[in-house]
Amino acid sequence: MLLQLNNIFKWVNSGGQRIFLLKDINLQVEEGEFISIMGPSGSGKSTLLNVIGMLDGFDEGEYNFLHESVHTLKEKHRSNLYKEYIGFVFQSYHLLDELTVQENLEMPLLYKKFKGSERKAMVADMLDRFNIVGKKDLFPAQLSGGQQQLVGVARALIASPKLILADEPTGNLNSSQSEEIMELFKQLNQEGVTIIQVTHSEQNAAYGSRVINLLDGRMI
Amino acid sequence: MFKNYLKIAWRNLLRNKSFSLLNILGLSIGLAVTALILLWVNYEIGFNQFHDNKDRIYQVYNKYKVDGEIWTWNSTPKVMASVIKKDYPEVEEVTRYFYENTFLFSKGDKRIKSNGTIVDPSFLNIFSFPLIEGDIETVFEDVNALVITEKFAKKMFGNEPAVGQTVTVDNTDNFKVTGILKDLPTNTEFNFEYLMPWSYLKQKGYDDKNWGNNSIATYVLLKEGTDYENFSKKIETLRENYDKDAPDMVTFLYPYTRSHLYSEFENGKEVGGLIDIIRLFTIIAIIVLAIACINFMNLSTARSEKRAKEVGVRKVVGARKNALVLQFLGESILISFLGAVLALVVVVIALPSFSELINTALIIEWTNPWFWGGMFSIILITGLLAGSYPALYLSAFKPSAVLKGTFNKINTLVTPRKILVVVQFSVAIILITATIVVKEQISNVQDRKLGYNKDNLIYVQMEGDIEKHYQAIKSELLDTGIATAISKTNSPITESWSNSWGFQWEGKSEDDKTLVHRLVADNNIVETMGLRLVEGRDFDLKTYPTDSTAAILNESAVKLMGFENPIGARIKDNGIDWHIVGVIEDFVYNSPFQKIEPMVIEGAKGWFNMVHLKLNPQNKTAANLASATAIFKKYNPNYPFNYEFIDEDYAKKFADEERTEKLASLFTVLTILISCLGLFGLASYMAQNRIKEIGIRKVLGASASAITSLLSIDFLKLVFISLVIAIPISWYAMNQWLQDFAYKIDISWWMFTIAGLLALVIAFITVSYQAIKAAKSNPVKSLRTE
Repeated sequence: MLLQLNNIFKWVNSGGQRIFLLKDINLQVEEGEFISIMGPSGSGKSTLLNVIGMLDGFDEGEYNFLHESVHTLKEKHRSNLYKEYIGFVFQSYHLLDELTVQENLEMPLLYKKFKGSERKAMVADMLDRFNIVGKKDLFPAQLSGGQQQLVGVARALIASPKLILADEPTGNLNSSQSEEIMELFKQLNQEGVTIIQVTHSEQNAAYGSRVINLLDGRMI
Repeated sequence: MFKNYLKIAWRNLLRNKSFSLLNILGLSIGLAVTALILLWVNYEIGFNQFHDNKDRIYQVYNKYKVDGEIWTWNSTPKVMASVIKKDYPEVEEVTRYFYENTFLFSKGDKRIKSNGTIVDPSFLNIFSFPLIEGDIETVFEDVNALVITEKFAKKMFGNEPAVGQTVTVDNTDNFKVTGILKDLPTNTEFNFEYLMPWSYLKQKGYDDKNWGNNSIATYVLLKEGTDYENFSKKIETLRENYDKDAPDMVTFLYPYTRSHLYSEFENGKEVGGLIDIIRLFTIIAIIVLAIACINFMNLSTARSEKRAKEVGVRKVVGARKNALVLQFLGESILISFLGAVLALVVVVIALPSFSELINTALIIEWTNPWFWGGMFSIILITGLLAGSYPALYLSAFKPSAVLKGTFNKINTLVTPRKILVVVQFSVAIILITATIVVKEQISNVQDRKLGYNKDNLIYVQMEGDIEKHYQAIKSELLDTGIATAISKTNSPITESWSNSWGFQWEGKSEDDKTLVHRLVADNNIVETMGLRLVEGRDFDLKTYPTDSTAAILNESAVKLMGFENPIGARIKDNGIDWHIVGVIEDFVYNSPFQKIEPMVIEGAKGWFNMVHLKLNPQNKTAANLASATAIFKKYNPNYPFNYEFIDEDYAKKFADEERTEKLASLFTVLTILISCLGLFGLASYMAQNRIKEIGIRKVLGASASAITSLLSIDFLKLVFISLVIAIPISWYAMNQWLQDFAYKIDISWWMFTIAGLLALVIAFITVSYQAIKAAKSNPVKSLRTE
């Protein structure tokens, strides 16, 4: 078992009223799963993803990640945990405009204190694997959306995480680029990486092994 | 890691050229101003401090109570040094320093005028002016020994060895060069190119034992380990046994190290001096640098939205807050470094003019490790200071918020910035007002009625054979039509070199100790200077030979002495009865900023230092001067013909005030510039923050001009607040400044109006650029980026 959410609640107080963003979420994810979270706008998909990614806290419930109980951990431990095991992919890629493709890939390794030679090898490996060696010195603005997202996925993968969280990874892409990314996810999943994605598209959801439907913060 | 930070910082700089430029420019102005001021402060603090014995050197001062007030001064009788040496075993050495004066040195055809003085041989033991050639024990053994500086030796003898050469001084005595001194550093109060032994003065009969003649400086070197406090008590009563006229006059030793920065006395107490100005300017340096630093914070946080995404991404891929803080601090230090490099260029370019402005030759000591140490500490401090707030602010962003685009623009942060803008503009308005007031005061005084005609008026020092051939020179100058009138005087018309409370006249009360100034003139003084006669006549020795004991009074003197019919009245001065032949309107002498004091012009029975010539306005000045040169050369061949124009002399009297004006204008312009950079940053931040509001307003039909004024009005309000704060402060400060002048302007409301309007216009131009840009943006774009 990779992670387990038990009776997770998350709310905000607004005008004396408690508005629930997440309501009694129970979810267990095994290693090697490929899960799609679906639901209309405002149903809490991204919130759930952020909670799983430990970027956001919650107000009630238990969260266990690899037998660590996240809800009892201090902020510092929690961030160590997600830095080690989780990679993020965003709808709008979130590459750093000031860095080249190669440098964008290298950045996570810098924070993980890899040696220079190791970093070089890992970046070269990733460039090779994603077939973007020729683009390594370009800046994000010089790439198409699909290519940028490719770099985004490569960056998420470079430190070999166990889990990839993708928030509408194809939301800004056209259909053929979209398909390419989804194929990539599928392949990664087959190689053993656990993936949880938020998506609006039934077609993309179909790549996954399991679909979770949310409505008003509840699983249905 | 570091390389990565540096890279991203550098690319950030390049990507946001205008932003970087604003930041670096602002910081470099602040740094350059700070550096210039610190260079100056460093120079002044180091002044007189290079002597090895500096902690044991003291200058002898006197204190005396006159009219209930304690006067303090530092000139002493010549005889005092020997008494100190004899009576006080704590004293290791003592030296006298005659006042500096100019001699003519000649060797063969070479004639050079040089400034220097006469000292006791111990002078070189007390002060650290090292000899390059000559033995310190024997250089002054001979009466006609001459010690000169390297520079003077070079001027006089070229590359020939100077020691052993003989030169003639003032065409009278021959001196033999016995020693060569290293050239004097610039940071010493002494200004001599030659030194002569005291024995020469004695031989010439100028040494006296008169305790009432306080005219020279005396310096003392105390033995090591002497307790200053105890010794001060001992020496206080020095005059008791010697000075019959003023046995209760207090003698005290003033530490030489304090002489430059302090040494201003009021009623017997040390009240500061140059140190006050140094402190003021240090504060100005700190304010300017602080304003520049806070500008940097403004501009950096103004761009927070752009950096927010980066912070989010970095955090998500594993950056700790500390790492981000370090990154942002590194960036600000980089910017501060670039600012410093630019500032250094500015300093190098501006140093000569700044030196001229403050009348002090500043240099950058490139090889001094302290200079580099100081510079790098300033870079580091500035970088940390300016970067700390943005670094903490930016690194605190939550990735889940910034990456999802729900990033909240925190408007509460605007308040400290508003306060900053108010502070900046208050300072700017105060400085603008100060500049206006100083300018007005100067031009007002420059327009003051002078009371004499300074055009075509020159004066020549009475030196060499001029006195001897005066009549011949005079008739030749008048006959050839070079000059229309000539008069000998004791001082230039622009100055009074002599005054006294010893004048006697009928009805003077016993305790009246009003100072009356004394000018001495031989003939035609009214005509030569263009003075205005109220009654009576000019000195005219030809018609009235008794005019050698005649006097002309100015109106203030007539008023003081209370003469109903001044003409024919008599006054007594220096044991001579002077009869009054004329009264003139008050004319300006000494400081044009002060009120005109009573003056008596005494006739030819006095002594003379100057010849004033009224050049013939019919001829070209250059032709007049060429002919005059020839005539003076003929009668006084050993001296170069040196002359001064009275109008130039008069203009020099405004030098201090004009310097104040220039410094005030300089700091005004720089403060305004830096303030505008800050305002620009704040405006761009505000425009960014309100981009959605602007979009909605535009969609709902607001015009571009309505939005521009909406955005600008906030800032103009701030300027108004600054105005309210600045007016009383500058009113008070400028009134304080004007206190020092007897002849002064009144501060009036229009000065504040101009300052306020100027600040408003400048602020509006700065802000409206951003406002118009925001108002013209396409609302569809801004609303979609949500």
